[in-house]
Amino acid sequence: MISPYDTILMLLFLSVLLAFASSRILTMIKVISFQGVAVSIVPILQNSDLSTSSLVFGSIMLTIRGIVIPGLLVFAVRKISIKREVEPLIGYHFSIFVGLLLIGFSFFISSKFQFPDSQASLLTMPAAITVFVGGLFLLMARHKAITMLIGYMMLENGIYIIGASFSRHKHHVVEFVILLDVLVGIMIMGIVLYNIKRTFDDIDTTLLRKLKD
Amino acid sequence: MLEIILIGPLIVGISIFLLPIRTGRYLMAATGVWNLGVAIYIWRVQPRAFLDQYFRLSPEGLLVLLLTSFLFAVVSFYCLGYLEHEKLSKERFFNGSMLFFLAAMCMATIADHVIIFWIAIETTTLASAPLILFNRTKGSLEAAWKYILICSVGIALALLGTLLMTISMDAVDVESSLFFSEFAKVAGQLDKTWLKAGFVFILVGYGTKMGLAPMHTWLPDAHSEAASPASALLSGALLNCAYLGILKTTNILEAAQLGDFARNVLIGFGLLSVFVSATFIMKQTDYKRLLAYSSIENMGIIAIGTGVGGFAAYGAMLHLIHHSLIKSSLFLSSGNILLAYGSKLIDQTGNMARQFPKTFFCFMGGFVGIVGFPPFGIFFSELIIILGAFQKGRYFVLAALLCFLLFISAGLAKYVISMSFSQTENTACLVEKPLLYVPQMILLLVSIILCFWMPESLSRVIIQSGTGIIGVLNG
Repeated sequence: MISPYDTILMLLFLSVLLAFASSRILTMIKVISFQGVAVSIVPILQNSDLSTSSLVFGSIMLTIRGIVIPGLLVFAVRKISIKREVEPLIGYHFSIFVGLLLIGFSFFISSKFQFPDSQASLLTMPAAITVFVGGLFLLMARHKAITMLIGYMMLENGIYIIGASFSRHKHHVVEFVILLDVLVGIMIMGIVLYNIKRTFDDIDTTLLRKLKD
Repeated sequence: MLEIILIGPLIVGISIFLLPIRTGRYLMAATGVWNLGVAIYIWRVQPRAFLDQYFRLSPEGLLVLLLTSFLFAVVSFYCLGYLEHEKLSKERFFNGSMLFFLAAMCMATIADHVIIFWIAIETTTLASAPLILFNRTKGSLEAAWKYILICSVGIALALLGTLLMTISMDAVDVESSLFFSEFAKVAGQLDKTWLKAGFVFILVGYGTKMGLAPMHTWLPDAHSEAASPASALLSGALLNCAYLGILKTTNILEAAQLGDFARNVLIGFGLLSVFVSATFIMKQTDYKRLLAYSSIENMGIIAIGTGVGGFAAYGAMLHLIHHSLIKSSLFLSSGNILLAYGSKLIDQTGNMARQFPKTFFCFMGGFVGIVGFPPFGIFFSELIIILGAFQKGRYFVLAALLCFLLFISAGLAKYVISMSFSQTENTACLVEKPLLYVPQMILLLVSIILCFWMPESLSRVIIQSGTGIIGVLNG
């Protein structure tokens, strides 16, 4: 029988492919929102002994990752009125191909490591690597600054899966502060983004080429 | 008790937004002095932290803490003079961010917990981004965007590395707290594959923040676009904080018998950094970028010294101190030059020796120091690193390093001489008030004094900070 968190992990793989294939920024934000919810739920589902504190922190994580940050991104998109990523550095079809290769690669790499005996599913590490490297790929392959922000968030989601599923040193306060840092980071990047839009009238990072040697 | 060092600037930083601008300026200088006082107290008494599950003093942290507090105190006095001339549109933002930045750096120095340290470093990025952004010109927007994006992504990699390190503990069922110092104690039992993977990510992550090539691309932009006092802190204090993470992790790998692996990686990144800065310093049009590339070079030298180990690692710690002092002084002087000529281009400046003798004196002094002439400290630290490399038989590293250093000195000399003595049509005006040149002189003077008289407690802390990499020194 397929357990519920294996299903969620499979959906994570697909979500990365969807983000790679999508030119609409709102779709990508939806992907981020889904991933945020998924990565907050996965550690809770994996843990058989649930405590109140882990449930409370899980729901805080879910709110910030799944609702607050995507909400901020939607707000930013409205504010700068940019809907699509046009002419990406690497085309959508090729991006999907890269995504498929990436999934294979992540399974290959995961087989090389000896895992601490945790309750994590065999799919967890490949899913984490796929989301993490997927975020890196979006950072490199897209021009618009807002897509880079989305890529950064995806990278952060991937790291969170690894931390929450494999490290036994879970510390809710510490995790919360990390997320707070990320949140503030996203907000500051949003402010810079808004200023870039106001000054350059676009958020294409190819415009940011003035400083170079 | 230990937390006072970060709570003080934090509270003042918040209150500055409510106070009149001029009061805020003086308050910032007062906080600088207060913070230096607290740092000296911590240095002498070494109190325990109130939240001792998160904060703990380590010798290397203590060293960087004292250095950071000292630099901030000096820079905050320079700000008093600088902000009189430079009219910032949002000065409260600037002063507040400076203090938040100080608080974040102090937090990084006292955080020995691996993840709290990460949080502190990420916070330094967030606190210093407004310092680059506040001009709102096209250039500063671009620099701020690159800075915050590249550093955040870099530091995210460091977080992954940190998590991999904790997994190296779980994989073999070792129970220990997540302090860097505790890691080093149980290092022998840790899972080596995870530990190595963790080290690579941490080196790339904090190396991004430290400005090691090829992750350095944000650094010249950010350092040249930030206001000069902020550039001085970015270069003199922030890079050291990022280096702390690399040093502490290297110590763990050394204890885990993976020292050779860590050293070679460090030397590789270090040599690449020195090479990159040598190529870019040779052809440069902007003097603040010139100084920024010199920071990359010096961070490379520190990485090489740490990588070679032994005597050279001791040299690397000395280099860290003297680079901070001299480079901050240079960036402050560059602030005067920018105020005087109104341009960051080398072509637009000239005849500094006649027009602005005091600034010229500081800038030239800083230049002499940074390329490694006596009587400044970098002469001795570089000499020690070179001798250390000889001792360890790293002849190729040594030859490459010396060759690159030669190019860097030549490049720097060419531009500094052109700025100082060539004729210019640009009409420049600046009244050189004491607050605009005394801080630089103090920094340079401290570098000279430390060469001839090093307090015993300081040299002891330096040796303790690299117990793993320095090993037992003879004599």
